Amino acid sequence: MKKRLYLELENCIGCRSCLAACTQCGGHEQRNRNYVYDVNPLVNRQTMPLMCLHCVNPACARSCPAQAIQIHETGAVLSALVEKCIGCQNCTIACPYGIPKFDTEQNLMYKCDLCIDRTKDGIPPMCESVCPSNTLQWLTDEEIEAKNQQFNLDNGKWVTSMPYLEGETNVRVNLPGILQGVTKLF
Amino acid sequence: MQEVNTKAPRDQFFKEIENVRHPNETLVKTHCSYCGMQCGMNLRVNTKTNQIIGVEPRYDWPVTVGKMCPKGVTAYQQTNHPDRILKPLIRDDASLKGTQKGFREATWEEAYDLIAKKFTELQQQYGKDALSVFSGVSMTNEKCYLTGKFARVALGTRYIDYNGRFCMSSAAGGFLRSFGVDRGSTLPWTDIHETDCLFIAGSNTAECHPTSMFRVWHVQERGGYLIVADPRETPIARRADVHLDLRPGTDLALANGILNLLIQAGYVDEDFVGNHTNGFEETKELVKQFTPEYTSQITGVAPEKIIRAAEIYGKAPNAVVMFARGVEQQHKGVDNVSAYTNMALVTGKIGRPKSGVATFTGQGNGQGGREHGQKSDLLPGYRKLTNPEHVREVCQVWGIPPEEMPQPGVSAYEMFELMEQKTIRGLYLLCSNPAVSAPNQNFIRRALKNLDFMVCADFYLSESAEFADVILPSVTWSEDEGTVTNLEGRIIKINKAQEPLGESKPDWQIQVELAERLGRGKYFSHLQTARDVADEFRLASKGGYADYYGATWDKIDKQDGVFWPCKDEADPGTPHMFLDKKFYHPDGKAKICALPYRPPAEEPDEEYPLRLTTGRVVYHYLSGNQTRRIQFLRDMCPEAYVEVHPETAAKYQIEHEEVVRLYTRRGEAEYKVKITEAIRKDTVFVPYHFGHDQSINLLTIDALDPMSRMPEFKACAAQIEKREKRAVQ
Ligand code: SF4
Ligand code: SF4
Ligand code: SF4
Repeated sequence: MKKRLYLELENCIGCRSCLAACTQCGGHEQRNRNYVYDVNPLVNRQTMPLMCLHCVNPACARSCPAQAIQIHETGAVLSALVEKCIGCQNCTIACPYGIPKFDTEQNLMYKCDLCIDRTKDGIPPMCESVCPSNTLQWLTDEEIEAKNQQFNLDNGKWVTSMPYLEGETNVRVNLPGILQGVTKLF
Repeated sequence: MQEVNTKAPRDQFFKEIENVRHPNETLVKTHCSYCGMQCGMNLRVNTKTNQIIGVEPRYDWPVTVGKMCPKGVTAYQQTNHPDRILKPLIRDDASLKGTQKGFREATWEEAYDLIAKKFTELQQQYGKDALSVFSGVSMTNEKCYLTGKFARVALGTRYIDYNGRFCMSSAAGGFLRSFGVDRGSTLPWTDIHETDCLFIAGSNTAECHPTSMFRVWHVQERGGYLIVADPRETPIARRADVHLDLRPGTDLALANGILNLLIQAGYVDEDFVGNHTNGFEETKELVKQFTPEYTSQITGVAPEKIIRAAEIYGKAPNAVVMFARGVEQQHKGVDNVSAYTNMALVTGKIGRPKSGVATFTGQGNGQGGREHGQKSDLLPGYRKLTNPEHVREVCQVWGIPPEEMPQPGVSAYEMFELMEQKTIRGLYLLCSNPAVSAPNQNFIRRALKNLDFMVCADFYLSESAEFADVILPSVTWSEDEGTVTNLEGRIIKINKAQEPLGESKPDWQIQVELAERLGRGKYFSHLQTARDVADEFRLASKGGYADYYGATWDKIDKQDGVFWPCKDEADPGTPHMFLDKKFYHPDGKAKICALPYRPPAEEPDEEYPLRLTTGRVVYHYLSGNQTRRIQFLRDMCPEAYVEVHPETAAKYQIEHEEVVRLYTRRGEAEYKVKITEAIRKDTVFVPYHFGHDQSINLLTIDALDPMSRMPEFKACAAQIEKREKRAVQ
């Protein structure tokens, strides 16, 4: 069954295990491809991962003059093809979250490919596999829908990936606030 | 043939996932080298070079289901690291002690000859007890067991102790007093997410035991409660339903205050207390004075929060009380442990699934390593050196007459005092880095320099190795096999993924060969493999409290680990303790302890108005000797820093990232300031993973717990002084 990456931002503990694990995936050449931010470092310890959301109609690929960014049949938006990328960095500017990273030595863009080595065979990506807090989860649409129901709050705001930040994405995000709708046991 | 499924039960987090298989690669199932979580992992081994090249999650490990913190993900990089010591090293010029200089490569023969000569000379001149062994628990049970035997049988010295004194000894002392047995958790970790209330004191869980966090968050997602007691708003405290932001070193008052409220509000389980405990009336009397107001005066926590926390814990159908070094590394650490344990005993929330008491064991084998004879007064199976029956049992396995068994020695910190006084003249140090991790470093380093002869076995040249005359290259965890006991009390199997690098050898082999040199080969020479040691060790533990006899490597494999006690082949082990409500004191009852409050050994005053507390960051492990060498971890946290509240910073007119001088009565160091509102205004925090002049233990106090001999790392009085801003490079 098709699974998606799902982000429960409230859970993040800032351990950056996802970044360490990213370097471990085949073809990632020991470079990590995503980001973890301290939300308000002088105030508290809140952190959140910023991962490529694998847009259905990705701005990065659209902006690429060399068609170096391919979309895999699973929906994963792949890293730039070495032979095609001309190093113009249009993609980094086009992406609403500034996801694609740039290797100045190789003059090559590299980005999250959703561990395509793994996910093409239904194996969860490295970041999700190791995430100790379940901020990153690998779920079926049914499971995501169940979460949607569970956390459907009065204000209708804390709903998974809605409204989409930039068009529809393959990765789904739940913004901080999951505990607001929880009924306490006693 | 149908395989009988004897695996541990799976929970909702468990998913059947096949691992990625790359060509020319095999996966070796094992566990992380670092903390007590002992997360499952697969090491990726290149089948052509036979070298470890990476890591792959171990989805099939029921406790951690593939999850790892960044230390675990990068742990494999230790094995073939350029800093590995590949050959024995000898330093002829003792004046260079305390530096990395003057070491030359030597053969094992030469190193053994020198050690045997020096050890023999010292013992001939000053007696058997002139030698000492200082060990650690980041190694297998087999190694821990043999180290105890090596000290007592090969060296014949009473002076052996280990770094658990700086880690788990207060938890051990508290559990022994309350339950009569010291197993770090009374329930398996797979219960934790199903409880209704987690009361977590003095544990920065998200950084120190990160892979517990998915279970912790799940309690809240289900509508359960999370209560956290910590002077800092750590990532786990940030989301707590109640954050008890207490002053460092005041846990005992907080625990007494909550107990008082539980009793006053009628949450006492009268049946349980009457039938299965002692000490209730006395304790009830004692805690009466700990009204919310009085407790608040001592702890600095608002009375409403204390009341709310007690109400939640009291109401919860099931609850788990958990704690860690924050409460244990105090000069009343044992009392703190018993006081928090009182909460479970008085309300009867123990001895059943989803309820109980647990400590977050710090070191990988912090549990197993303290049970089998590395402690100054203990023998394998948690037997006591002071009990003649116990001594006889162990002597039978070892083949020595009871008269030859040395007397109990002294605790870790006290060994350094004896080195300073020249009572101890020689040291064999392994698996530990006290030149970073012990308190009052100026004294510790002086003591190490004062030794006539020191041997250090390590795989990297640690800060402590800088004081050695001989360094023996040992192996990393991935180059040997054996068992480890994780924080649940589950015995698990570490597997070998690669042959030892260079000429390095496992510690057990070093000890067997050294024993032979010292003329004690007949007690050791039969131990030719790790499994030989394992078999002898299981036998030596047989009949003790921590009975491992039935925990064969086969059974561990079949059952996904075995919880001790496990007495024989048929015994599946004991995931839940005290289900029969039988405790391990002679009368079968647990002890509710009446514990008068004592303030920290050093309270703030005019000269030193701040409270200094220490702890960890997620990127580093213990003294940092391993993790500071891993690029990713170093990039994430390259140096120590001091956390200061903005109001406090304003008072001292210091800014974020400014370098300040921090000092106490014992020492000083310079740190970059990290401003954060997530700390009390009267408290500053420095992580302890850094060496040399960055070591916060230059400043910490050597006040020891009277029972566990644990130093008070978590509270002392300090002062900050402004420095000129460090020039921008
Ligand atoms: S691994 Fe998970 S908890 Fe850790 S930083 Fe990444 S998203 Fe956050
Ligand atoms: S998030 Fe950015 S990098 Fe990822 S697919 Fe969308 S546009 Fe491209
Ligand atoms: S350090 Fe601890 S939590 Fe992190 S991966 Fe290793 S065992 Fe797991």
